[in-house]
Amino acid sequence: MTAERGRTRYAYDAIVMGGGHNGLVCAAYLARGGLRTLLLERRGQIGGAAATAELAPGVRVPLLAHSVGRLRPSVARDLYLGRHRLRLVAPQVRSVTLRPDGPPLTLWGDMERTASELAAESTKDAAAYTGFDRQTRALAGLLARMMAMTPPEPSRAGMGDALGALRLGLGYRRLGTQDGRAFLRVLPMPVADHLEDWFDGDALRATLAWRAVRYSAMGPRDAGSTQTFLADSAGTDHGAAGEMVFARGGPGALADALAAAAAAAGATIRTGAVVEAVRTRGDRATGVVLSNGEEIEAAVVVSGLDPKRTLLTLLDPALLGPHLGWQAGNLRLKGSVAKVNLALAELPRFSGIADPDEARRRLRGRIILAPSLAAIDRAADAVKGGRTAQRPILEATVPSLVDPSLVDDDAPAKHVMSILVQGTPYHRRDGDWDTHREALGDRVLDELESVAPGIGRLVIARQVITPLDLERDHGLTEGHPLHGEP
Amino acid sequence: MARSWDAIVIGGGHNGLVSAAYLARAGMSTLVLERRYVLGGASVTEEIVPGFRFSVASYVVSLLRPEIIRELQLPRHGLEILPLDGTFTPLEGDYLWRTNDHAQTMREIRRWSATDAEAYEEYGLLMVEMARFIKPILSAVPPDTIRPDPRELLPLGGLARTFAGLPRREQTAFIQLMTMSSSDFLDQWFETDPLKATMAASGIIGTFLGVRSPGTAYVLLHHYMGEIDGAFRAWGIPRGGTGGVSESIASAARANGATIRTEAPVARIDVRHGRATGVTLESGEELQGKVVLSSADAHQTFLRMLEPEMLEPAFIEEVRRHRFRGSSGKVNLALDGLPDFTCLPGPGEHLRGAISFSPGIEYMEEAYIDAKEGRFSRRPYTDVIIPTLVDPSMAPPGKHVMSCFVQYAPYHLNEGTWDDARREAFGDAVIDVIAERAPNIRELIVGRQVLTPLDIEQTFSLTEGNIFQGELSLEQLFFNRPVPGHARFRTPIRDLWLCGSAVHPGGGIMGAPGRIAALQVLRSRRLAA
Repeated sequence: MTAERGRTRYAYDAIVMGGGHNGLVCAAYLARGGLRTLLLERRGQIGGAAATAELAPGVRVPLLAHSVGRLRPSVARDLYLGRHRLRLVAPQVRSVTLRPDGPPLTLWGDMERTASELAAESTKDAAAYTGFDRQTRALAGLLARMMAMTPPEPSRAGMGDALGALRLGLGYRRLGTQDGRAFLRVLPMPVADHLEDWFDGDALRATLAWRAVRYSAMGPRDAGSTQTFLADSAGTDHGAAGEMVFARGGPGALADALAAAAAAAGATIRTGAVVEAVRTRGDRATGVVLSNGEEIEAAVVVSGLDPKRTLLTLLDPALLGPHLGWQAGNLRLKGSVAKVNLALAELPRFSGIADPDEARRRLRGRIILAPSLAAIDRAADAVKGGRTAQRPILEATVPSLVDPSLVDDDAPAKHVMSILVQGTPYHRRDGDWDTHREALGDRVLDELESVAPGIGRLVIARQVITPLDLERDHGLTEGHPLHGEP
Repeated sequence: MARSWDAIVIGGGHNGLVSAAYLARAGMSTLVLERRYVLGGASVTEEIVPGFRFSVASYVVSLLRPEIIRELQLPRHGLEILPLDGTFTPLEGDYLWRTNDHAQTMREIRRWSATDAEAYEEYGLLMVEMARFIKPILSAVPPDTIRPDPRELLPLGGLARTFAGLPRREQTAFIQLMTMSSSDFLDQWFETDPLKATMAASGIIGTFLGVRSPGTAYVLLHHYMGEIDGAFRAWGIPRGGTGGVSESIASAARANGATIRTEAPVARIDVRHGRATGVTLESGEELQGKVVLSSADAHQTFLRMLEPEMLEPAFIEEVRRHRFRGSSGKVNLALDGLPDFTCLPGPGEHLRGAISFSPGIEYMEEAYIDAKEGRFSRRPYTDVIIPTLVDPSMAPPGKHVMSCFVQYAPYHLNEGTWDDARREAFGDAVIDVIAERAPNIRELIVGRQVLTPLDIEQTFSLTEGNIFQGELSLEQLFFNRPVPGHARFRTPIRDLWLCGSAVHPGGGIMGAPGRIAALQVLRSRRLAA
């Protein structure tokens, strides 16, 4: 492949801005395809939100994201991530929803096991779960095909788009009458309505609804949340239970494997390189300018940053034009999640799971604290109104149960807990994040106390990352982990 | 033996009457059966307080399809629509007043925000374009999503081509309209809170959604599709109240030869060998018809008027899933004089249009959150009009009627039921909101009628008090209305058809479902319309 375009010769064929997992994947594929590729990362280390941090001496924790379940198997295969020492662990249990005054509700990878446990609470829900899982797999399967396509440009759809549409049409036909109709009916629905059509149990509804609204400012009563629920299934194993996959060594191990794959394919990775602007000639990108004044030319510039930042801070506004500028300014990135990481002296006792071995089995997936469907909705309402939720929704994991390598033998802690907190708007009207960081940590521990009495006394180290921190320290505009609302 | 009709139409609301008029016009002997003493369904005028006539339920008109007005020659049958001028949003010590006078409205918005005034023009043009684009769908038959008929896909293909030809920004806007919340959608253009709230209000009417709920931007567009005498998105009130619309359609139906009976409640639809053969009235009287059209909603038609064994369990399950969740109430007031607003005292032009109690987005959302928690809004969104200022015939000289559309009043309450005490408490909450801005309202009231969703259900046979015969949510539109696979006006029972707001394109005094259903019936019988 040549770096010729017109008469200019560039130093690189491609520059990738941002060393998050997507930037790394992109660089690895480009390099594999023979392009001379340079990846530029602003921070001292690559990985972006896929990072492992040392919380206390010898105690490591997933800094931001805790699951790598959405990594496409095709990517792992194409880039030989196994050879680059990536080890994935997917526990049998997918999620456990804890209740202060009742037994936990567990979703297993094994659908039969889930259904038989649900039967203890409601035979109707247990029976419905089988059908729900089947339908979810069918609909998410079609959605997965859609997600793997390049979205068409409505005004200039070409033959490729038409072929894609045809293939989708065939996939739709294969769903059959019942699922075909369901697909067109449920996609725009509020997930609360969709789940109420199937189940009576509030804990089950809340557990499933959580996956639809995780990371977003949407509530389960918002139209379209069924689509996000199915999209989450489509991104994993398509089933109703969702998935939880740990990278051994923490999510940073994924970043390391990707970087190794990119480097092996010939890409150059530079950290501490802050891109100040994208250079253009006419309507073409020709390279980037770094903050130290260095200019690097390339035939193609790819941005792994969020579109708002890319379009509004790195490009000349005159080039963007007023309309695209206005559209980019209107991109909705209202971040609403925070992160709390804990180092624990030992595994806490959780209500409803008395036996320690039982606890070890059930707590290996996602641990969900969502008191009810209404509570998830209230947390979303608070976010929409710019307030922190009275009762934030928590999704915790204890990765050290699955991956003991995270905690050294002589470390003061035995376990780490990674807690995703939702209901914490970046744009808050009830105070600023810098003065409320520790209050958020306290509130999260209060919530945890309700299902794990005494957990507060086990905390050896604690780290609170607010939506503002996500923006400042990790470059996520407005603290949005998805680079924009789904 | 009783006489046999070519067509029996259940329900004398505006859609039932439209169907009957078209069927009779094509030569079918047609009988309309109305349960109440008066025609019109929810498009009805009644004298609630002696001397005071009210559009009891629906109160303005804009969406009535022009082809119906033309084809049924409704003006000849007495239809006259009087324009309403503008929207007045009273606030504490200030107001926002938009009128049909463009220059004046621009000055008013500029008083609030210069950038909003600029955006307002751009926004208005865009929405008109959007409405123009989507309008053909209002007269289309939804396709069968599993085995589509190519002929019916043709108009949709045309729509797809038009879409491809739209400027890119309009394409983007359309996709946003289908998915966003009205609050988020409007945030892109405007900063003035009362302006956003008042505009967003049309996105929540009749739905159990809030201004911040995704999916409401579409309803915003739904309300831009109206036209009066070719003037896009103009709203008006029919002379004689919304009953005037129904009366004119009834008159057209009669002129075409249809027979209309009131106080003839249908107890059940008679089915023999999977075919509708007529109806039985509550009186026991049996009437035979070659086809039966029901303008009642899906619950009334399939769950009340048919024996369950006549339908597949899976179909019944789908019907049960159809969502109603009435969320609106109505307060009708007979007044001794005109309300006097503190922010703009005295009588004046500002009282001649809609008066919208929608001071801000947060206010609207709070009202919705109350409803989600299962209680009526303590401070409800209220849309008020005073029809007597445009049509003085509605009340004795010098007196006025005031129509207040209120949201939210959830049909399902978390505590208690919609009893008399709660109904009056709800009415009081509405009066409180109005009195905050027009304190003299209390002493003007000489009569008051409060309609809760339960009252709407019981009076108008609208399940759960839903004014649209089923929520206008995205999953209940077009080929999913009322249930997936049965959105084409036909039902699983042969010769039984649906012709009310329960089917595409849904509610509002539009008449489109009644018309398309009748045309489909005629086509199935190879009759020229």
